[in-house]
Amino acid sequence: MIQELENILPTITDEKQKASLQKAIALGVPSMKQEEWKYTYYNKILQQGFTMQTSKGFETLSTFAVEKEFLDANSVSTNRIIFVNGIFHNELSSIVNHPKINFWNANNITESTSKDFLIELNNAFASDGIFMEIGDHVIVEEIIEIFYINTSSTNIINLKNKVKVGKNAQIKFVEYFINYDAQPAYNNVVTDIEVAEHAQVEWYKIQDGGNGYNITDNTSVTQEKKSVCNVATLSFTGAISRNVLTFDVNGERAESHMNGLYLLLNDEHVDNRTLVNHNVANCESFELYKGILGGTSTGVFNGKIVVKQAAQKTNAFQSNRNILLSNDANIYTKPQLEIFADDVKCSHGATTSQIEDSELFYLQARGIGKEVARGLLVFAFGAEVLEKIKHEKLREKLQQRIAELLKIEL
Amino acid sequence: MLKIHNLHASIDNKEILKGFTLEVNAGEIHAIMGPNGTGKSTLAAILTGKAGYEITDGTVEFNGENLLELEPEQRAQAGVFLAFQYPIEIPGVSNANFLKAAVNEIRKSKGEDPIAPNDFLKLMREKMALVEMSKDFISRSVNQGFSGGEKKRNEIFQMAMLDPKLAILDETDSGLDIDALRIVANGVNKLHTKENAFVVITHYQRLLDYIIPDFVHVMYDGRIVKTGDKSLALELEEKGYDWVKELEIV
Repeated sequence: MIQELENILPTITDEKQKASLQKAIALGVPSMKQEEWKYTYYNKILQQGFTMQTSKGFETLSTFAVEKEFLDANSVSTNRIIFVNGIFHNELSSIVNHPKINFWNANNITESTSKDFLIELNNAFASDGIFMEIGDHVIVEEIIEIFYINTSSTNIINLKNKVKVGKNAQIKFVEYFINYDAQPAYNNVVTDIEVAEHAQVEWYKIQDGGNGYNITDNTSVTQEKKSVCNVATLSFTGAISRNVLTFDVNGERAESHMNGLYLLLNDEHVDNRTLVNHNVANCESFELYKGILGGTSTGVFNGKIVVKQAAQKTNAFQSNRNILLSNDANIYTKPQLEIFADDVKCSHGATTSQIEDSELFYLQARGIGKEVARGLLVFAFGAEVLEKIKHEKLREKLQQRIAELLKIEL
Repeated sequence: MLKIHNLHASIDNKEILKGFTLEVNAGEIHAIMGPNGTGKSTLAAILTGKAGYEITDGTVEFNGENLLELEPEQRAQAGVFLAFQYPIEIPGVSNANFLKAAVNEIRKSKGEDPIAPNDFLKLMREKMALVEMSKDFISRSVNQGFSGGEKKRNEIFQMAMLDPKLAILDETDSGLDIDALRIVANGVNKLHTKENAFVVITHYQRLLDYIIPDFVHVMYDGRIVKTGDKSLALELEEKGYDWVKELEIV
């Protein structure tokens, strides 16, 4: 891949993109020798034959028609932003129109300061994304749905989102990763969310792309005082999915929520990494990730809480709980706490178990066959995360989807 | 209905049931009493198909069928019900979903269509009234955060919903205050017909003030050592179990 990037380098004219590409080349492709890539083999994605999408490939597939029924069946809102193979699709989208909501130039590439190959790659090659500024005091009631629709693309599709949420503003987003024609796909997405004072943001990521769908996602949240931000990542089907979620809490009395559910029944590989930096005092963070692993699937959880010296009176709670449904499924979990302040309440914990025989027997003793009984218990295990999803329609849709995956009736 | 003959069973190579014999006919209520550790709960577990027990001898027939060959869910579908001594909490599964799954799985086993949602709700309301359950119960998770008394009432409620032929109540009275005991017993009495039968396992005579048994059996060391009518329960209450132990030796 590095060779391919070096070949492309002379053709890039934008200085910022060029700088990012040079950094990406210098950093090199992630390797399992790196601690943060210990359990995820990035080359496995590349081995599926994806190539870079350069500006020549940035064409709107205006001829691409998604059936309206398909969108309606997969949607809970009238606010839809649709990308087809990484390019915004105007005809299919319907976006909230408000004088205090601005969409910026989609090619607004900025200088990157990361040390991450995938973020630099994204900065060099981003084809599109949401650049949105929500003015102070604006409340968007209807959730905004972002569909990343992939159809027979052999490109690495890079999408870059930046959302600035003004003071006292409220907004909700949900991202869906959709494989329209069951061909392999790879999306590398970078999202920056800035949450101003008193603002409230909900952000959901639904990863259910099916066989051969790869995702690398980097989401960074910065929060100012008394803001609330809630990010939930739900992974069901796909190939490799790696989600890096970082919170920087910079204002006092801010509240951060990180929730995750990975329900993997076949051969999926999901790597969730979260980091919350408590930089100031009097903030709270809550994190619950639950994993259900069957088949030959693999789950990785790495959650880190950093409480800086200035961050007195921090309350930070983290929990990762997993159940294994098969002997061939794997979970690697690593909770980490780094605390430099002395007056804090922090907890973390990780558990891995199996379905309790006593629970299974209780259901069987009521006439429920073993398979349905297992399905109900697995559903119950995951329900705690679903309850954290405040958007009712979305929650119900997800409940139905999970029931379908577990072959149970609700 | 139920014919248990010379049942021997062990767990971890320790023999718990040592020649247990009992016959229960439709319309009857049997009480099984006895001190701790005599195999009462083991009997209930074996009848409902809990894993981990080894049957070394004897037979169990339920309406002519070899009960021991059936999976736990098949036994339930055939009409055997156990009210658990320690009901399990299932966070995240609502009582409504749990019972709908149970009712429909049982119907499916009989080749019947799933119950219509309205009929199901109606049935739930009707049976909830029987054990004086409050309305919010439908949407609450199975047994989660329930008090001991609520859990036991829920067992009787489930029994009412599933309408079994044979119900085994495993120490349903333990941990109940007098009001809950009355509600539970009342539920059982209302459900009792000429077509079904109850086996009530208990330590204490007090439940039998409310549920009048046709037979009282005293169990000791893995078998029944004495059978009588309800007056036997009173005698046990008065004398304790020590004299039973002596009986066994004879």
